[in-house]
Formats: sequence, structure tokens, C-alpha cells
Amino acid sequence: MDLTRRRFLQLSGVGALGAIVFNGCSIPETELEIQSPVLIPEDVVAGGESWYASLCRQCPSVEGVLVRVVEGRAKKVEGNPEYPLNLGKHSARCEAALQELYHPDRLQQPFRRDGATGQNKPITWDEGLNELVTRLKALRDAGQASRVLVITDPLRGHLGKVTQLFAAAYGAQHLAFEPMERVVLRQAIKDVYGQDRLPHFDIGNSAYVLSFGADFLGTWVSPVSHSVAYGEFRQGEGRGRGLLVQVEPRFSMTAASADRWLPVRPGTEGLLALALAREIIAEGLADPDAARALTDGRGIAALDAYGLERVADDTGLTTYFGKERAVQLIQEVAHDFATKRPSLALGGDTAAAHTNGLFNLRAIYALNYLVGSVGAKGGVIFNPPSPIDDVPDTASGAPLSRWQEVAERLQRGEFDVVITRGVNLVHGLPGALQFQEALKKADLIVSFASVPDDTTAIADLVLSEHVALEAWGDDIPDPAPGYQTVGFQQPVVRPLYDSRAFGDVLLAIAPEIGDDLGAALPWNTMQDVVKEGAQRLFALNRGWAKATAPFDAFWVRVLGGGGWWDTTAISAQKAPGASKAPAEPVRPSFAGDASSDAFYLLPFRSHALLEGRNAHLPWLQASPDPTTTGVWQTWVEINQKEAERLEIREGDLVELVSPAGAIEVIVYPTPAAAPDVLSVPMGQGHASYGRYAKKRGANPFQVIAPQKDETGALAWAATRVVIRKTEKRTRMIKLEGLVEARQMEESPVIQVTRGEEGS
Amino acid sequence: MQDRRTLTDIQVNETLTNTVLKTPLLWYVILAFMGGIVMLGVVAVGLLVNMGQGLNGYNRPVMWAFFLTNMVFWIGISHAGVMLSAILRLAQAEFRRPATRAAEVLTVFALATAGLMPIVHLGRLWRAYWIFPYDFSRGIWPDVRSQAVWDPHAISTYLIGSSLFIFVALIPDLAVLRDRTTGIVHSIYTMLAMGWRGTVRQWRLQAIAGIILSALLLPVFVSVHSIVSWDFSMLVGVPSWHTTIFAPYFVIGAVHSGVAGVITVLVLMRWLFGWHDYIRREHIDSLARLLFVVALAWFFFFMLEFMFGLYHQEGTEMVVRELWLFHAPWNAIFVIFILTAFVIPVPLWLFRSVRRSFPLMFFTTILVNVGMWLERFLLIIPGLERKHPFTFSWGEYAPSIFEITIITATFALVATMILLFARAFPLIPLGDAKEARVLRDEIRIGRRTVQAVLREE
Amino acid sequence: MTVRTEWDHKWSMVVDIDRCTGCQACVVACQAENNVPINTEDIFKQSRAIEWIRIERYWEGEFPDVKARYLPAMCQHCGNAPCEPVCPVYATYHNDEGLNVQVYNRCIGTRFCANNCPFEMRFFNWWQPVWPESLRNQLNPDVTVRNRGIMEKCTFCVQRIRRAERTAIQEERDVKDGEFAPACVQACPTGTLVFGNSNDPNSRVAQLMKSDHPRRYRLLEHLGTEPNVVYLKKVDPYLKEEAHNGSH
Ligand SMILES: Nc1nc2c(c(=O)[nH]1)N[C@H]1C(S)=C(S)[C@@H](COP(=O)(O)OP(=O)(O)OC[C@H]3O[C@@H](n4cnc5c(=O)[nH]c(N)nc54)[C@H](O)[C@@H]3O)O[C@H]1N2
Ligand code: SF4
Ligand code: SF4
Ligand code: SF4
Ligand code: SF4
Ligand code: SF4
Repeated sequence: MDLTRRRFLQLSGVGALGAIVFNGCSIPETELEIQSPVLIPEDVVAGGESWYASLCRQCPSVEGVLVRVVEGRAKKVEGNPEYPLNLGKHSARCEAALQELYHPDRLQQPFRRDGATGQNKPITWDEGLNELVTRLKALRDAGQASRVLVITDPLRGHLGKVTQLFAAAYGAQHLAFEPMERVVLRQAIKDVYGQDRLPHFDIGNSAYVLSFGADFLGTWVSPVSHSVAYGEFRQGEGRGRGLLVQVEPRFSMTAASADRWLPVRPGTEGLLALALAREIIAEGLADPDAARALTDGRGIAALDAYGLERVADDTGLTTYFGKERAVQLIQEVAHDFATKRPSLALGGDTAAAHTNGLFNLRAIYALNYLVGSVGAKGGVIFNPPSPIDDVPDTASGAPLSRWQEVAERLQRGEFDVVITRGVNLVHGLPGALQFQEALKKADLIVSFASVPDDTTAIADLVLSEHVALEAWGDDIPDPAPGYQTVGFQQPVVRPLYDSRAFGDVLLAIAPEIGDDLGAALPWNTMQDVVKEGAQRLFALNRGWAKATAPFDAFWVRVLGGGGWWDTTAISAQKAPGASKAPAEPVRPSFAGDASSDAFYLLPFRSHALLEGRNAHLPWLQASPDPTTTGVWQTWVEINQKEAERLEIREGDLVELVSPAGAIEVIVYPTPAAAPDVLSVPMGQGHASYGRYAKKRGANPFQVIAPQKDETGALAWAATRVVIRKTEKRTRMIKLEGLVEARQMEESPVIQVTRGEEGS
Repeated sequence: MQDRRTLTDIQVNETLTNTVLKTPLLWYVILAFMGGIVMLGVVAVGLLVNMGQGLNGYNRPVMWAFFLTNMVFWIGISHAGVMLSAILRLAQAEFRRPATRAAEVLTVFALATAGLMPIVHLGRLWRAYWIFPYDFSRGIWPDVRSQAVWDPHAISTYLIGSSLFIFVALIPDLAVLRDRTTGIVHSIYTMLAMGWRGTVRQWRLQAIAGIILSALLLPVFVSVHSIVSWDFSMLVGVPSWHTTIFAPYFVIGAVHSGVAGVITVLVLMRWLFGWHDYIRREHIDSLARLLFVVALAWFFFFMLEFMFGLYHQEGTEMVVRELWLFHAPWNAIFVIFILTAFVIPVPLWLFRSVRRSFPLMFFTTILVNVGMWLERFLLIIPGLERKHPFTFSWGEYAPSIFEITIITATFALVATMILLFARAFPLIPLGDAKEARVLRDEIRIGRRTVQAVLREE
Repeated sequence: MTVRTEWDHKWSMVVDIDRCTGCQACVVACQAENNVPINTEDIFKQSRAIEWIRIERYWEGEFPDVKARYLPAMCQHCGNAPCEPVCPVYATYHNDEGLNVQVYNRCIGTRFCANNCPFEMRFFNWWQPVWPESLRNQLNPDVTVRNRGIMEKCTFCVQRIRRAERTAIQEERDVKDGEFAPACVQACPTGTLVFGNSNDPNSRVAQLMKSDHPRRYRLLEHLGTEPNVVYLKKVDPYLKEEAHNGSH
């Protein structure tokens, strides 16, 4: 007994000792250092920092940034206060340029994929370029240069020029890809205003903004510059508060900020625009010339098809608001739009993404004529052409019709070599196109990439590319801010890995492929090209750095300032005036189930991930969606009452099924969704795109049917889907707590006023 | 005529020291089991140190949870010791005799355990000593405005006071043990007994010391739990905690659970050590009467707390009441709490047969403490889940396996410590037992039989 | 280097919620500037995401008259901060420039302060923050990387304040209004956030904070914590007459 007792106590003693030692060893090392327990290191910041001006390439608008560099490492990206587009501001997206630079899954050197084994073999640049050059040279020598296809993101500025010259001199096809191209928007702007370039929307000076579908505060065209202007619009210095009305079937971030949200049925935006036009003319509030032109001199009789009540029904407003109120709302919007001048109508995104997209946008943009807002302050301001004439200043992705054609030709084996750069075709084209299979028909897929994505995953030759912060470049913004602007992009850090810039590679291989190519591209590096562009700007002898000479001083100055701009160089182009409105509306058509069980599917660009290009960046994955506050996942927003009717709850996994395919998404019931609409954020569903994006969520392009507008552009909002329940559940991950956030009546944390008391 | 058989001094000494001198086999079995659970708890704490508080179920806004619930619970239990010993000693209540030592021991160990909880809860528990003023040279002081400084000082004062209390009462018994042991153990008891010979002067001094300590400890007993309640009630950040009633409410709640805890322990000891002659029906009967009064008072405070929230209809309070009543799992917890802490046991204590039944008293007092644990849980967590009008951040909490393990281990720890104490010292004061030996349970006065346990001589 | 303390500075913020679009630029800017750990999917699942500034979105009304109201919320740097006196070790205290300061080295992780912050602005490091090695390159050298087990929150970008003050000392002048901004203010495209020295009556922030500003209010003002962040009310011209929105 004695022994047992002692043994027992010994054992427990050893156990306790072990646990204590275990505790002791696990205190973090830094904890055991002697720290001053009262000092905050932030109080004694020291050390040098430098700020370099450059350009942000995290989204297509390309804005000016300043990058903070300490000891050779980029530490922070901020808006460049001088840059005319963003005036020192930026979005969540551009901060994450740092995470792209330092992404743990960045390509550190080129590699070759063995088609048989699927193994990636690291190679040197020389090996990689040798293979590419040999291949290109052989094809060209055999007269088969057109069997080479170069696909890039839409390129403006000198990189665009170099790429175009290369493709032209070689004889290859060059196509630009953008998942949600602006083909319809550009066509509408051309048709309505006779402009080749996108205009500047002068929101900052406007008193009334009427936006159709365009999520201009979130992702549409130039969100940061729009947001800066929006801040002004909401009681900026010396001005009253503007009113914003958002006509959009989805409750976007812009709808959330709008004073009034009109959830119209998808594809009926143009109808509503024409009803407004009719009402404005009927009230006698319209600009007489424009009214005459629009109605072909016949007065509102020409717009009979757009009668108030009829449109109220057709747009679905009657269903939501009741007939009387719907009519009243349309009248009120028409009245306000015509009287609270300067007013501005703009449209895009869902309004354009229908089979009748062009009809919608034409009708919307024509409204500006009625209120005299074309080419006027607070309205639509046209942009001048590029100050350097042979450099592309607009660029848009090719329409779906082109991609269908390319897919067919690929299938037929008409392309041997496909070079891709900055595009994720596999992820960003509707799944129904089977583009991945088509692409695999090519002999050699060469992919330039910094973080390998879905398209890189099927490439044979993967060439590690610089990220924007390591490369030279420039940009001629589209839309420009109303005057001529050129932005400069300089490397802010030394390249981290064995990577090269796309432009530099084209310039390097051109002379090796053929002397004529070398002659067409007589530069050594992109830096030379950009500098030559600056020289041409210097020669213009105008703009903000005008008096600076010699050129070297000018060069340093514009690089330091982030670019060149001339506020006096504005557009001289005149608008053609309003043209006759179509007598009969063009109605949208939808793919998929037409029954009442089906919902309109409205995919939307995530405010942070966009169509998916930023999905590899953890800050952006973790950036809450402005309306749902969802993160890291793909969800479907469904009207709360509909969800109740269907007996689905938040966190249920459901399948959305269209004729094109099905995706599995998480249910998020929301009070802010029309009952017949489902919206799904884009951005996720990557098979490969670094550790933060891989195998996460779903890609709505898999269910978008390849519907087209008359321009051939993808009508990505023209699909109807049905919900198929699964038995699975998960948790919808969001910033919002576990209770639907509504304010407590007696202690609202957000106080609201009607604003009569002024400012 | 329920005259008890008379026990000799020797018999008393033998039975009451048998835990010390002859250890039942069961003791080892139970100690091994409890010790094993404690070890599991120690490993869990080790993992907390190793990996971080992330292992627990905490989140934002529920930053306090199981551990502090458990702290309040054990502090509550610890209140029985002083309650019984001090008040009853001062009131010269006879029925306290067998209960005092157990109650005091329970106090000390429950308190020590309670004191561990906030340490385990710290993000950097290896820095816990920073809340004490130790670094005079660099002039770094703790902030005396913080309840987190009051707490440890209150608890340690109470801990030191009640340890002294036990010790003073223990001295005569230590002398008995000194006389019955040999070797090294003998020397230890000799030292501890401090030359006790049982002279009249020594007995008198010992009695006076006990009374003085009782008087000194009473205010501490009230203040400790008041201070603990201020950890919660002084926070403007949590509206449902921010209420003036918390201090008395917590104190009376503590007495409720503490006295119940003592009864549980007494019944257990009686069963474990076979002390049928010392822990008798009339003892638990009297304790049960006390408990009945305390329970009513406690329930009154609970109702007040509940009503105050409803009365002024303030949203932040209403949402917590709503959570308690209408949302799973809180509504279930609420119902169990009300049933176990009040509705089931308290009416039962109206019956003499219940009060005098060891199994039934064991059962009802266990119920009370289940209920009282849940009460603290209900007071602490829902208030955090619905912290303030920022409904955007409202959250939920569920304990992780680590918290559950550690909480379980604290129960085992208290049991282990009591078992170990019982191995070293008698759990029933020999002297008290001898004094009481001559008394009867009931005396007959004329035709009436009255309780004989209310006063000494 | 010693910190000059005789400044007449009181750093304050104005938030015009009528302008906020919920764009999250401020949130990511703060995370980049202040070495806030990556909020992974798991961290979100655990409801432990750290966002020193967050955009709270409140629903109001029902479809089709539904509104989303945005509240950018960061530490209010309360003049009478409830988080301060409950800290046993002075890990959080008020400095003489109106800032509620967090001393990471001193914090022992009681989370008392977080409970007593009525605004829910304190964040605890439940886990050791980790970054893949290459991403560590981005960390701001001016800002401590917090260990696990301690509390953190918005500092009003104290490192930027100090840098500006140090520059001002070197140039023998006072800090100029608008010379620098905390990361969130710098980013905010709509101008929702305005920062400056409210002791300087000519600063923009002092102008906007004036007690007679018709849209001025502060969060949970009735608690008396004297927040140093002033909000300007949301304007909703279509606000229903009967709505309970504190609109008067
Ligand atoms: N607790 C403690 N304090 C000490 C001492 C000690 O032993 N213990 N030692 C004392 C002694 S002997 C000394 S010498 C001092 C040293 O103290 P400091 O002079 O403060 O030295 P460092 O800590 O090395 O910091 C130098 C700073 O300069 C930055 N830096 C590095 N290279 C460059 C550069 O090229 N340009 C610029 N502008 N900045 C650069 C670094 O990032 C770093 O922030 O500390 C003294 N203080
Ligand atoms: S909006 Fe786009 S281009 Fe502009 S700063 Fe942000 S990410 Fe860069
Ligand atoms: S907001 Fe919270 S954390 Fe900030 S000072 Fe006030 S109480 Fe403290
Ligand atoms: S968590 Fe840190 S800062 Fe907060 S009260 Fe505790 S020790 Fe102080
Ligand atoms: S002031 Fe600085 S620390 Fe505070 S929220 Fe803004 S960026 Fe973050
Ligand atoms: S950056 Fe400005 S507009 Fe955007 S969410 Fe933050 S406060 Fe609101």
C-alpha cells in the first residue's frame, strides 16, 4: 500500500512537471525577450521612406498611385493626389497590388509543362524564349504566321502599341479579352454621341444622377473617379446635395447609396428611359430641339409605345409598388430629372448585358440630350483624342461572337501557337463555349503570368511575368477626365524573381524572329518605348510640366508626378444631336426556363475580386461585400420572402441550373432583392490561382448562357435559372454578426435626417 | 427518545482521524480518477499556452465566457465556508459543528480554483503577475481603478483569511495527530501544532482567535463577491450587466450555491468515511432550513434583476430577456436553471422527510448548483452576445472542448484537493465533535420534543 | 528620440455617413498600413475577423422600399474612454493628444477593455498572426506586429502622426492641416472621413465638428464617453415621416 501511494504520487508529480515544462516551452520566443512594457514603438518611428509615382493595374480603369518603399520593399499603395482620375484616392483593390507583388505562389522562373506527365519543369528564360522563337520563326518561315494567336487584356498606351506592332509585323492575330467587355457601351456612345472614346461623366457637378444598371460606385468603368465625384455630389464645397436614382434590377452598391432604388425587371431599362423621355416631353420640360429630333417632329405620339402605365407594368414596377405609386414614381423621376439640372443619365452593366442591350443604352444616353447635358458641365463631357496619335487610347475586349468564332477555329485546329497574357480565358468565358477544350487543340500554349491561373494551368510554356510594380509602362486613360492625360508607370522595386515584362519579351524576340520584325520594333526595352512617348509629349510643349527643360528634367518631373496632362486640351468634337427613338421597343429574350419557377440570374462583379482577376489576393478575398458583407465564398442573394416560400435558409447550399450548366452556391436571403431575381457575385470558382483562390466558391460563367446582343457582345444578364435544393448546409461567412442587422428603434447608431435644415 | 450512543474520546479520535491514519482503498480510486481529470485539464491549459486562446470558443463580441462563469461559480461555492463558520460561530449555532471544517476547506479550495480561472482566461497568462505592484524600480504600477486589480486582491485576502481560519481551528487536531504519528510525519505535525497541549488558556485563545477571525472575515466575504459582481456591473459597455443590483444579488446567490455545496460535500463525506455518528440528520435538516431562507431571498433578487430589465423597456435589456426566453439554446438553459435552482429543490425542503434524507438532500443540493452554474452562464454570455445597439456585431458563443475539459477539471481539482486534505488533516474538528458528543439530538421538555442543536450549553 | 509633448494637438475624425458608399477602401487601407493579420476564411468563421475600421451595414425597410445604411466605425478615441480604467496594467491609456493608446507590450489579454468598449472597437489576437514568408515583405516597419494574446484597435495611425510631428520639429514649424492623413482617411474616395487637429479652429475637422453643425451627432452619446469621432447624419430626402430614425 505504501509503495502504491508513493508510486502514485510520483507519477502524478511527473505528469504535472511535464505539463509545466510543456507550458514553459510553448511561450512564444518573442515573449521572453525583455521588452519595455510601456513604450509604444509607433511613438518613435524612424527610418527613411520613399514614395514613387506609378500606375495601378488591379482593375481596368488604371489610376495613378504612389507607392511607399522602405529599404527596397514596397510597403503601401496610395492614390496619387496629382493624378487627374483618382485625385489621391483609391479603392480596396489597388492596395492589394502589394499582395500580388509578394504573393507566396508567384512564379519565380519560367517553366515547361510536360504534356505527357503533366509535370512542371523549371527552365531558364533562354530555354523558354528559344523554344518560342524557334516555333514562331518556323511557322512564319512556312508562311503560317496566321496560325499564331495572341490574346491579351485590353492594352492601352505603349504596351498596346508594341503588342499591335508585333502581331501585325509577325502576321499573327491579336485579340483582347475582358470577361465583361464594354462593346455595347462603346457602340451606344458612338451611336448616340458620335464619340470614339468613352466620355467623362461629370457626376461631381451634377445635381441629379439617373443611373440605369451601372454600378458606377462599385465596379463600373472608373469607380474611384466616380466615387471622388460622388463625394462632391453629396454636398461638396459650396454646393447643395445631389440626388441619385438607381434603376437596376439588382441592389448593387450604387443602388444602396442611391436616394431611390427602382428595381425594374431585367432588360426593361430602355423602356423606362423612353417612358421618362415621353413624360419629360409631355410636361414641356425637354430641350425643344432634342425633343423634336427624338420624336421625329411628331411629338409624344411618336412615343406612344412608351406610355406611363404600360411601362409601369412592363418594367415590373406595378408589381412591386402598385400601379398608382409606380406611375407616380416614374412621373416624379421624369420631373426631377428634367428640372434639377444639371442632370445626368448614364447606363451600363446589367442594362447593357441583354439581348436588347444596345436598345437600352441608346435610349438611356439619349435622355441627356433632352436636358441639355450633352457636352455640358454636370453632364456628359467628351474626351479629346490621345496626345500621342499612334498609341492606342481606347481598348475593349472582343465581343462574344469573336470568341465563339475563335473557339470553332481552335477546334478545327487552325491555330498552332496561342500566346496569352493577363487573361484567364478558361475562367472568364461562358462555360458553354468549352474554351478550355478548344484551347488544348493548339500545339503550344504560351502563357505569361505572375501568379498561375486556370489558363496557365493548361499552358505548355509558362513565362514568369513582372507584376505592375516591377515594370515600365504608361496609360492613356479611357475615359479620360475630360482632357488629355497620360500616366506613367515606373518600377518601384527591383524584380523579386527571375521574371520579365511582357513588352520587354516581345521587343527581345522580335529581331530574333525576323529582321523586319526587329525593324518594326526598334526598341530594346519598354523603358525606352515609354521614354520615347514622353519625348513626344515634351515636344508638344504644353501640359503641367511645360516649362521644364531639358528633356531629362522633364522626364524626371513627369515620372515623379505620375504622368502628363493638359487641362486645356479638351474635346473639340461635337455631338450629332438626338436621333429618332425607335417606335417599338426591343424586348429582351432570355435563355432558360421561362416558367414562373425560374429566376432571372444577375451575376455581378465582386467589388474586390471583379470577375475573378483579383481572387488570388487575400485582402480582397477578405473584403466584405458592401451589401451582404459576404467574404471568401460564392453566395446567391435571394429575396427573403421567396426564400421562405422555397423553404431555404441562409447557409443552405443550392444549385442554380441553367441550360448552360449548374453551380452550387450558398443561400443568402436579403430584404434587398426583387422576388424574381437571383444575384451571384463573380470572382470565385478557380481551379487554380494560388492558395487563396484555388477551389473556392463557384464561377457564374458556368451557368451564363452564351446569349448575345446585336453587337455580338455577351448578354450576361440574359439567363434564367431554377433553384435545385441540395441537402447540404454550410455557414455563410460574412462580417455581419449572426443576427440580421437592423437598428434598434430607440437607439439608432445611424441617424438620418430629411435634410431640410440645409447642409 | 433518540439518545445517541455515547462515544468515548478515544472513539472520536479514532474515527475522525481514520482518514489520516488509515486510508480507505476507495480514497485511492477516487483520487486517481479525479487526478486524471485534473491532468487532462493541465494538458488543456498547456495547449492554450501553446496555441493561444483561439482554441476556446471566444469570439467578438463574446470575449468572456466559460472560464469567468466558472470563476463566479467557484467564488460562490467558497462563500459557504465563511457563511457557516463565521456566522454560525458568532451565533453559536450548534449544528455547525461537523460542517465547519468541511465548509472552510471547501472555501479555500473553491477559492483557489476560482482564482485560477481568470489566469487561465488571460491572453498572456505567463504575464499574470503584472496585475500586482511589483516593479517599483521602474515605476510601473497596475491601475488601481481596474476591477481586474481589485479582484485578485480581494480574492487573495479572502484566501489568506480563510486559510488562517482553518489553521487556527486545526491546531488542536494537529496535536492529536502529532501524538499518534511517528517519524517525519510526526515532526511535521509537531511543527504545525505549535506546542498545543490543550491547556485552558490555549483553548481560550484558540476560541477567541476563531471569533475574531470570524468577525474580520465577514466583511471580506460580503466584499469579495460584491467586487466580483462589479467586474460585470460596472461595465457600461455591456448594458445588461450594467445594473446596481448585482452586488447583493451575487452575494446571496453565492450563499445559495455555497451552502448547497457544503451539504453535498457533507453527505459525500458521510458516505465515503462512514461518519454516520458525526454528520447526522439534524445537521443537514438545519442546513436545509437555512438554505430554504437563502433560496427565497436569492429568488427575490433574481426576480428583481429580471424585472428591472423589463420595467424600463430598454431595447438592450429586452433583447437579452428575449434571448433567455425565446431563443435556443438559451430558453432551454433558462428553464433548466429555474427548475434546478429553485422550482424543484426549494418546495421539497418544506418537507421534513426530505430535509432529513441524505440521498434527497444530496440530489437537491446538486440540482441547486447545476442551476446556479447555469445562472452565471445566463448572466454573463447573453449580455455579451447582444452587447449594445450595434446589432451588426451581435454574435453567438459555444464552448470548445478545451473549455469543457478545463471546467470539468476544476471540479476534479476541488475534489482532489479535499481528498488530499482529508489524507493529512481531520475533516471534522475533533474538539467540536467531543464537545457535542454529550448533547442529544432532541430533548424532551414536558410532552414536547424540541431540537437540541440550536445552542450550546 | 524623445517625443515632444507640448503640442497643442487633439486628433479628431469626422465621418459624413451621407457620403459613404460602403466601398471598403478604408478597411483594406487600414489593414495594409497597420499590419492587421489576414482575415482568413477560418477566422471569419470563428467571428474573429480583425478590422480596425469596419463598415457596418444596417437594413432598413422591406423590398422594394429597402435601404442599406452604412456606418464606418473605428475606435472613437473617447475622451472619457470606458476601456481605459478597466485595464489592470495601463496597457490602454489616454495620451495628451486625445488618442486612446494601446501598449501592446503591456497588455496581458484580460479582454476587460473589449467588454467595456460600447462601440465594439477592440480586437483580440486569438491566434498568433501568420503571413507566408514572402508576404511579410509588405509589413509596415513603423508598426508593431502584434503577438497573440493581446488586444489591438485603431490607433488613428499614430505612426503617421508621429512622423508628421517629427518632420514638423525638424522643419521648426507646427503640423499643417491636411499635411498627412491616417490610411483610411487618405484612401476614402468619397471624402466620408476627415481627420485633423480639432484644437486648431481653422482645421477642416474643427469646422465640421462644430457643435452647431445641423447634422452633427456622436455614437451612443448618452453613455458620456465623449467620443472624439463626430458623425454627420445620413440625409434621406425620401425618409418617411413616421420613421424612427432620430431625425428631428
Ligand atoms: N536598449 C538599448 N538601447 C540602445 C543600445 C543598447 O544596447 N540597448 N545601444 C545604443 C547604441 S550603442 C547605439 S549606436 C544606438 C543605435 O540606435 P539607432 O541609431 O536608432 O540604430 P538602429 O536601431 O540600428 O536604427 C537605425 C535606423 O535607421 C534605418 N536605416 C538603415 N539604413 C538606413 C539608411 O541608409 N538611411 C536611412 N535614413 N535610414 C537607414 C533603419 O531602418 C533603422 O530604423 O542605440 C543605443 N540604444
Ligand atoms: S480603381 Fe482600379 S485602377 Fe483605380 S486605383 Fe483602384 S484598383 Fe487601381
Ligand atoms: S471606442 Fe472603445 S476602444 Fe476606443 S476609446 Fe472608446 S471605449 Fe476605448
Ligand atoms: S486586454 Fe490588455 S489592454 Fe485590455 S484590459 Fe486587458 S490588459 Fe488591458
Ligand atoms: S485611423 Fe488608422 S488605425 Fe484607425 S481605422 Fe483609420 S487607418 Fe486604421
Ligand atoms: S472608404 Fe469611405 S466611402 Fe468607402 S467605405 Fe470607407 S468610409 Fe465609406
